[in-house]
Amino acid sequence: MKKLLRAAAVAAVTALALTACGGGGTATDPSNVTPTGEIKPREISWLLSRPADGAVINIMKKLADDYAKDHPGFALNLITTPDRPSYIQKLETLAAANKLPELFDTDATPFAQELAKQGKMVDADKLLKSLDVYDDYRPGALDYQRFDDGSLYMIPFQFELEFIWYNKALFEKAGVSVPKSLDDIPAMCTALRNSGITPIAIDGQDQWPLERYVAYQPFREAGPDFVQKLKKGEASFTDEAGQKTVNWMADLGKAKCFQEGFSAQGYSDAQNQFTSGQAAMYNIGTWELPSLATDKLNPEVRDDVDFFTLPTIEGSVTAANEFVSPSGIGMAVNSKTYDPLVSDFLKFALAKYPAEYAATGALSPTTNVQTAIPANATPLYKKALETATTLGDKQAMPWDTQLDPTTNGRLQQELVLLVQGNISPEQFTKTMDDAIKQNAPKFFK
Amino acid sequence: MLPNRSRTSVLVFLLPPLLLYCAAVLFPILQSLFLSFFSWNGISEMEFVGLQNYVRMLTADDIFWRSFFNALLYLAICLVLQLGGALVVASLLTSLRRGRELIKTLYLLPAVISTVAIAFLFVRIYSIDPVGLLNQLLHWVGLGSLERAWLSDVNTVLAAVSAPEGWRFTGLYMLIIYAALIAVPKELEEAAVLDGASKWTLFTKIRFPYIRPVWITTTIMATTYGLRGFDIPYLMTNGGPGQSSELLTTYMYKTAFTSTDFGYASTISVFIVIECLVAVGLILFMLKRKADS
Repeated sequence: MKKLLRAAAVAAVTALALTACGGGGTATDPSNVTPTGEIKPREISWLLSRPADGAVINIMKKLADDYAKDHPGFALNLITTPDRPSYIQKLETLAAANKLPELFDTDATPFAQELAKQGKMVDADKLLKSLDVYDDYRPGALDYQRFDDGSLYMIPFQFELEFIWYNKALFEKAGVSVPKSLDDIPAMCTALRNSGITPIAIDGQDQWPLERYVAYQPFREAGPDFVQKLKKGEASFTDEAGQKTVNWMADLGKAKCFQEGFSAQGYSDAQNQFTSGQAAMYNIGTWELPSLATDKLNPEVRDDVDFFTLPTIEGSVTAANEFVSPSGIGMAVNSKTYDPLVSDFLKFALAKYPAEYAATGALSPTTNVQTAIPANATPLYKKALETATTLGDKQAMPWDTQLDPTTNGRLQQELVLLVQGNISPEQFTKTMDDAIKQNAPKFFK
Repeated sequence: MLPNRSRTSVLVFLLPPLLLYCAAVLFPILQSLFLSFFSWNGISEMEFVGLQNYVRMLTADDIFWRSFFNALLYLAICLVLQLGGALVVASLLTSLRRGRELIKTLYLLPAVISTVAIAFLFVRIYSIDPVGLLNQLLHWVGLGSLERAWLSDVNTVLAAVSAPEGWRFTGLYMLIIYAALIAVPKELEEAAVLDGASKWTLFTKIRFPYIRPVWITTTIMATTYGLRGFDIPYLMTNGGPGQSSELLTTYMYKTAFTSTDFGYASTISVFIVIECLVAVGLILFMLKRKADS
């Protein structure tokens, strides 16, 4: 038995040593975007985190089939894990095993930047330029995918605007109007609560929706740079912008802005609360236009639903037409498996994608196509799409793609406690500043 | 004693499962032990840090200790529900004349339902908005003041996520204990009854000592299952709100796959292995001492 144990230990250590050595991989030059050689059709894979029957997947499937007609033997294997946390775990595990497929989805997270730094992703800036489509993209759509240093390694497939949807009838019942300032929201919540209305429906289970709120005040108070500095420890929650958001979040909690027990409620719970007319506000992006601005919406609230964009504050450094406008999770191209086939397929697909995507009624990440408004849309649909044309230059970045993963996890946990009133703003400030101090240096060397 | 040749054949047949066990259980444990001395995010170079991860875990990580105590409480609730519940139900079953099979099946049913379904079911049961079963029941019996968002309240969430796990396996342990209880020789019980033993004495002096070996096994099973509890709390609350329902297992998982800190996560997993071994050792020690006395 002793011998057996020893043998197992040796095997374990050897295996680990081997995998550790193999970890580096044999990445090719990530800036070489025009590989030469013959196009040899084969099956390629795209590891993605998008709804299985969503427009992106359906269109790419169709485009892959079209491409396969001229290139027998080609196939695009779409492996989707729509649940974001599970997807990220899958991605990180595959990256650790050096087994990433030809194409994979990722946000511009610190982890993705590490992959890019190691030369594992093709330079998307160069790639899009070489395919002659770079100028078609909305600058905002590309900027959302960029890392802090301005480099671009992901290609966007969507473009969304995030609004605060509200129910006019409920506002009227409570005697409140669209807030002029972010600072008006706690008082609005109190008025709505006094009229027996849930002010804001939120998906607390997925954590990112609540994390959106923490980004709003600093974006207005100190601009988009605040989170860039905060995440590296160059700014802190004790700063003016930091304290403003901490106290505001606590105020939202005190005013009972969110539905009771929100932390255990999911995406569809929140959506149902708003669309059934129980909650007065709902903060979500244009990806929900089909359920909020078409005849699919409950007839009882259909005419009452409207939206407003992120309110400003007094002395706001960002303008009213600047808010969260993400271009969704991006697609990265694995430099190790990048060859003439992958390049040729991307050229084919990216040229045809925008028109197909806009035809589904969604905002394309490019400006060369016109979004088709579905036949069953309400007037709100058009109004929402038109907001994209007046968008300002700066955009509020969701913090979950910015902070290092450990700090991000801690922030999501502590935010719930802060809003529920389980911890004080001071405790929150200290915990988060400590978390950044401890975890940021590892990620932002 | 088996004859020599058949002993060899037994060993030969035991070898494949043993190898499989080594590959599936011992190897990962050793791998974790090895990794726990490194700092590694999965994609960059591994950096040897010696005992630094252990020092951090034991002295500088408040979430680790919070998760550890949560895990102990989670275990305690699971054990009371599973073993206590199982013992009560099994004892009652033995004195039942009809319908035993039906009741046994009903109790066992939750053990075959998928964990994900159980988690979602209980999220609905605990819900306050819309009102779930539990809050509705409290309202009906006039305990409306106790209504709350069970999974969002930091004081109740841990008990709330422990209960489904306990509920789920009560039937399984009940079945094992019931099988042991019906094996208690009838003559012994009848003799005790003739001597005037009460039901309680009958249980504590005859039945329970008789099933003690089975009891030890079920306790060990339930304890190790409880210590590795993961899926239901993870699915129901993801450790929240805050760290109120974070267990060592969920914390380890997040450290590895969300924070990509594989070295530190391995350190926590080594702790979990040690914790399980210590728990089993303690159970054996305590129950054996009691049996000896």
